[in-house]
Amino acid sequence: MSDRPNDGGIKLVMAYVRPDVLGDVKRALAEVGAPSLTVTNVSGRGSQPAIKEQWRGEEYVVDLHQKVKVECVVADVPAEDVVEAIVEAANTGEKGDGKVFVLPVESAHQIRTGKVGTEAV
Amino acid sequence: MIGLAPLQVGPTAIASSVNAVWVLVASFLIFFMQAGFALLEAGQVRSKNVANVLMKNMMDWSIGILGYFLVGFGVAGAAAILTSASGGPALSTAFAYINDANTWIGWLFGAVFAATCATIVSGAVAERIKFKAYLIYSLLISVFMYPVIQGFAWGNNGLLTAGGLFGAALGVGYFDFAGATVVHMLGGTAGLVAAWMLGPRRGRYDKDGNSIPIPGHSITFAFLGTFILAFGWYGFNVGTQATVLSATSGSFMGAALGRVALNTTLAMGAGACAAMIMTWYMDGKPDPLFAANGLLAGLVAITGACAHVTWWGGIVIGLIGGGQAPLVYRFVVERLKIDDVAGVFPVHGSAGAIGTWLIPFFAVGGFSMAQLEMQTVGILTILVWGIVVTFLIFTLAKYTVGLKVTREEELEGLDLGEHGIQAYPEFVNEGRSDIPGATPGLSADGGVRTDGGHPVADDPTANGGSRDE
Repeated sequence: MSDRPNDGGIKLVMAYVRPDVLGDVKRALAEVGAPSLTVTNVSGRGSQPAIKEQWRGEEYVVDLHQKVKVECVVADVPAEDVVEAIVEAANTGEKGDGKVFVLPVESAHQIRTGKVGTEAV
Repeated sequence: MIGLAPLQVGPTAIASSVNAVWVLVASFLIFFMQAGFALLEAGQVRSKNVANVLMKNMMDWSIGILGYFLVGFGVAGAAAILTSASGGPALSTAFAYINDANTWIGWLFGAVFAATCATIVSGAVAERIKFKAYLIYSLLISVFMYPVIQGFAWGNNGLLTAGGLFGAALGVGYFDFAGATVVHMLGGTAGLVAAWMLGPRRGRYDKDGNSIPIPGHSITFAFLGTFILAFGWYGFNVGTQATVLSATSGSFMGAALGRVALNTTLAMGAGACAAMIMTWYMDGKPDPLFAANGLLAGLVAITGACAHVTWWGGIVIGLIGGGQAPLVYRFVVERLKIDDVAGVFPVHGSAGAIGTWLIPFFAVGGFSMAQLEMQTVGILTILVWGIVVTFLIFTLAKYTVGLKVTREEELEGLDLGEHGIQAYPEFVNEGRSDIPGATPGLSADGGVRTDGGHPVADDPTANGGSRDE
């Protein structure tokens, strides 16, 4: 049982990355065999310094930075491999590269076929 | 005999007045083309570069008209005097307009053409050129690069006219009625050279040099800009038929006006149709942006020809002008690897050259070999001048202020990097940076400040104002 990837379960890998590395992340995910993903434009705050913008010369602070959220649900591919691929592709070394979280998924259903569980992923 | 004419106005004054009003209206229409260019280019760039593109359009007009008044219009006159075949008035007369109010309507009419030429380049160099480099270019094209060509083609006995050095040698004057080459091809060529010198935007080509499209953020803006440009173009072409009522013959110039208006209208329709059909055939679907580009390319192609060719010639020139736009765009982007963002070379450059070169084939007066030779010489003269002078201007900019923004700035967008603003801001009510307490000192990273350590709330330079309260 424990030999199977993700202990036989389903994992959600949720990554927040810079918008301009999305292409590299997609390529890296395809290379580890997990090409399916969902992408959302998000804004967020982490360790990246706030920036100052201006309107008619008056400055204001923007500490919510534009990021891309990448969600990737895996069963047969180990979540650690997916995380590693994302981290490698999204790392620039600067503050604001983002974070990756791994969450357990209780169940999965493929709408077209009605398949349930790991088969549905 | 006492006549029944209490208004003692001579026919010359009436003719001059009518014509002056027409030229003024046309000038205002041509000025409105600036709005068209601004929207057309804004729609074709990403949302992070919109404010920068708009700012460039605002400033090339503003800097350009100042330069064109103080220097440019005189340079045009001087260029004509220096290249006349028969000598000419003293060089200093070229600058007499500055203190002669009677010439200022004519100056304005010249200025809106100069501004059109200047603003074309903005679309080619979008999303990566340093704002300072663009300002330098804007000034130099308006005081030197465009006026010289204006003087060559349209000045009294200028180089390409029948009384100029080249024109006299070939026995005919160069035909470019409203500036298909003088204005548009010159701007389109400058755009191509400038885009080549700048290099492509980051991500425009992959490692193997394959073209990767970067879609603009609003096709709506691009289309609205196209229609506004086409509207202004009636001023550009029909307004160039500046004489409505001839003071010498007393006749109404309805036929001349009608020919220009009809050819302009037919060519824009033909241009859009040809570009649509071309993309439909090549790519399987009618492409909206290329159709809009084709409409403009049809207009550019007929701009030099509209007074000289038959109505069916107008349609053919429009078809060729519009149809070549997608082909030349592909050639520039995929073969030459030049990132011409808004396609200014296919729309203004090649379309202007082809349409103007074709004039003798569709001329109302019949084909003339001498005219075809003159067209070839004229186009090549303007082309070479455009390439060389643009190269010099951008070389100057390169070694003074630099041409291209940094990789980081290109990524975050020129709106932020060059101007510190966003065209479409989100989540902005985070407080002023210079008012104590206006920004909540939150941190979301284990006690590490999230604002990069700038002690916003304790900024010693803050004056403690409370304007937001």
